Amino acid sequence: MLDKRKIRLMTRAAIYEKEYGEEDLKITSYYKKDYSSLNTWITLIWVTAGYILLGGIIFLCFGESLVEGLTIMRLLFLAAVALALYLALMILYGIGAGNFYSKKHIRAKQRVKKYLRDISRLEKMNKKKEINRS
Amino acid sequence: MSTLLVWREKLQKLYAAYSVYILKGIQFVLGLVLFGLINSNIGFMKMASSVFCTIGLAVICTFLPTIVMVMAATVLILAHFYALSLPIAIVSAVIFILMYIFYFRFTPKKSWLVLVAALAFGLKIPFVIPVAFGLMGTPVWIVPAACGIISYYMVDFVKRSATALKSADADGIAASLTSFTKQVLSNKEMWLMIMAVVIGILVVNMVRSRAVSNAWKIASAVGAVVCLIVAAAGNVILEGHISYVSIIVSAVLGIALGIVLEFLFFSVDYSQTENIQFEDDEYYYYVKAVPKVGVSAPEKQVKHITEETGNKAGNTEDILLTRSLSKELGIEKERPE
Repeated sequence: MLDKRKIRLMTRAAIYEKEYGEEDLKITSYYKKDYSSLNTWITLIWVTAGYILLGGIIFLCFGESLVEGLTIMRLLFLAAVALALYLALMILYGIGAGNFYSKKHIRAKQRVKKYLRDISRLEKMNKKKEINRS
Repeated sequence: MSTLLVWREKLQKLYAAYSVYILKGIQFVLGLVLFGLINSNIGFMKMASSVFCTIGLAVICTFLPTIVMVMAATVLILAHFYALSLPIAIVSAVIFILMYIFYFRFTPKKSWLVLVAALAFGLKIPFVIPVAFGLMGTPVWIVPAACGIISYYMVDFVKRSATALKSADADGIAASLTSFTKQVLSNKEMWLMIMAVVIGILVVNMVRSRAVSNAWKIASAVGAVVCLIVAAAGNVILEGHISYVSIIVSAVLGIALGIVLEFLFFSVDYSQTENIQFEDDEYYYYVKAVPKVGVSAPEKQVKHITEETGNKAGNTEDILLTRSLSKELGIEKERPE
């Protein structure tokens, strides 16, 4: 006879495995702090690459007017502005990415916990059934 | 109204039963419109702009996640740009990479929003976007909306000045790179539309989340009007070439879409609103409770007057349980009678 509770649990577990299973297992294989800091560093490297590309685009766009009548003082000023913008971007993305990835880890861990609870319930039900049969 | 609500319930049931096919159908149509628009507007590479390529890409993308559709659209645009001129392809690739680095790395599942934003602009209904994004999303949705607008205007610019861009390529890669970047980034109309849409999304989202009656309707109307005013004022100041008919029609469509979205996702009865006040040791609470409107769709009862035969009789309990489970899980099949 069909067991309604068991089918519910199996369906929920299958949906979870299909939607999040693989990614969640990868995330929860790290500690929260490790996962968050690793991904924050990766983000900062990407942002640095992006900043260089953005700088290139802006230079292509306004390069002529920037280079025209360039003095040492102006060059230093431009360098200082570029550095300040870079630092601001790094701080913004550093804090944002840190929060984002630690929340992502928390959510993944909660989902995995729920999934494991469902699996252990299923196991118990199977065992009970086997005992009843024997 | 009650008939409409019954229809909504029926639609919900239909969606629950066939969501897989409905979603795949929508994805296929989205792909078809997207790749069709790209190929019909900037089909510089003959091989990639054929009907077979359009349909083939749409079919492939139907069975893959939406991020693949975004990537396929990007590659298709870059291929057409490359066929026209290498510098244009390089600059466009850099702009797309920047979009990926600064936003899409974090939310690849929301990448379809860029497609929707670009498509709305391609179909000349730009102000549907602030209403839809503001009602259904969060303020962060301004980023994919802006990315979609930039992509659309980049493609539009290349389409309008293809001949000039091709001849400019002969002057040298460096000169072409500079000139294309300047022309794309100094497109006043593009920045104006980004500003209008961003303000629109923020206004709609802010009004929608207020505890006022008919918040969704007010948000849609206010958002569309704000977009219209910003775009029209900007057009006058910057001496642009935005079509007033197009923006007015799209604002009206935006309001209509807002009403449809409210009906589908936020159906409440404001006449039954209750204002409650209570307190605990630390706070006074002023709570506004608005009941949801729900009508259950009438179900057809089929009475079988023919006699049940065969082995079914013995397992009635099993059959009933199977049916109720199938119904709950939405996998009910038609029973042969």
